Amino acid sequence: MADTDSVFEFLHMQIVEYIHDVHGKESENNATTKLEEMGFTIGQRLAERFTKETARFKDDLDVMKYICKEFWTALYKKQIDNLRTNHQGVFVLQDNRFRLLTQISDTEEFIVPAAKYLSLPCGLIRGALANLGIPSIVGAEITTMPMCKFTINIQKH
Amino acid sequence: MTVYNIYIFNREGTCLYYYEWNRRTDCNMPKYEEFKLLHGMLFSIKSFVTRLSPIDGKNSFISYRTNKYKLHFYETPTGLKFVMNTDLAVENIQDTLHDIYNKIYVEYIVKNPLCKLNEPIQSSLFRTKLDEHVKSLPFY
Amino acid sequence: MSRQNSARADGKKVSSELFTLTYGALVAQLVKDFESDEAVNKKLDEMGYNIGVRLIEDLIAKGNVGRCHDLRETADIIAKLGFKMFLGVTPVVTKWSTAADEFSLILENNPLAEFVELPSGHENLNYSNILCGVLRGALEMVQMEVEISFVQDALRGDDTTELRVKFIKRLEDAIPAGEE
Repeated sequence: MADTDSVFEFLHMQIVEYIHDVHGKESENNATTKLEEMGFTIGQRLAERFTKETARFKDDLDVMKYICKEFWTALYKKQIDNLRTNHQGVFVLQDNRFRLLTQISDTEEFIVPAAKYLSLPCGLIRGALANLGIPSIVGAEITTMPMCKFTINIQKH
Repeated sequence: MTVYNIYIFNREGTCLYYYEWNRRTDCNMPKYEEFKLLHGMLFSIKSFVTRLSPIDGKNSFISYRTNKYKLHFYETPTGLKFVMNTDLAVENIQDTLHDIYNKIYVEYIVKNPLCKLNEPIQSSLFRTKLDEHVKSLPFY
Repeated sequence: MSRQNSARADGKKVSSELFTLTYGALVAQLVKDFESDEAVNKKLDEMGYNIGVRLIEDLIAKGNVGRCHDLRETADIIAKLGFKMFLGVTPVVTKWSTAADEFSLILENNPLAEFVELPSGHENLNYSNILCGVLRGALEMVQMEVEISFVQDALRGDDTTELRVKFIKRLEDAIPAGEE
């Protein structure tokens, strides 16, 4: 019954708090960047180990589907609910109940502080994509708790 | 059957949460005073009951009843105290109080990064979940 | 199709690797942020403490654990329930002191230290020091004051990883004002 989920959430909580304490004093952005970079290195190494045996992907869309299904399920125990693209390198991944947000109150006042917990997941996606050969910029936005949209902008490669 | 109200105390005796569903009377004192007195009384009952026990009787206090209402008491090893008042028809609800601890307090407070432990609970999500849970109880 | 299958089978492994890698990224960041290994150890212990005070509630609630009567029972729960539930490993409880107030937890595999090599020049870094903090925080919540340290660490070339837990005292409930 190894249940490492909550222990990961507790660790993540501490990391976010620490980075914001130490690196977020001057500007919030510093902390966001730091967390995103941490997520990036983790995502990169994770994809490295995770996709070792998997078949080559056909195209970007194929990779995105993989991120939405297997990758997301492995990390957050559910799939992305909705994937959209403009077919010009922008993909929007919508998770209707993003795991790291489900415990946080749904009132407006919590949306801003809750956004702190999205930087590392954004980095995770960017790192995983980079490892699969797709450079990108990833941003996240909370619309109504606990729904969250990740926007992936693929950079020319 | 009826659930009147609930109190959640931490080890230090701070009332972390209070909510009432069907409380019909008010005890005519400020809330903080009521919390303090209730916690003090529970502390005394608990230690007195243990001291009086003719056999090893730790944690033997789980409820008391008057001829009007029944108070249920559940304490976790970490010192959290869940106190629920119901009418007299309600039997042992230790499992229910454990569920509230496990499924609501742990999920929505302990795992909520924006909630500090040991501070009065502000989370509206916690309030909603607890309310739903209590209203779905067979003895509500 | 083989892709889906292997990915699904790996789901559990991935979440534990996510944890291990995330912890690794944290330690790397702390090593950058602090000048001395001792300061990193201290910070890890502190963060562990904050995790421990929350984790214990999850453990007690999920595992339906009651009050422990002695340290042996506590040690058993830490190893068989705590470590198992959160890290997926069960350390061996051993090396009891004669007064039964100290014991060791021996970790054959340390999930935190998978794929880790200590960087050179950090001889005093206790890579897994967060575990000490977690145990300290968790036990304090059940009113036990303990001292915890690494006596062996496989990362440093020791045979195994060994955590020493020393019971200091039982913390008593504060008596509410006006009661006795």
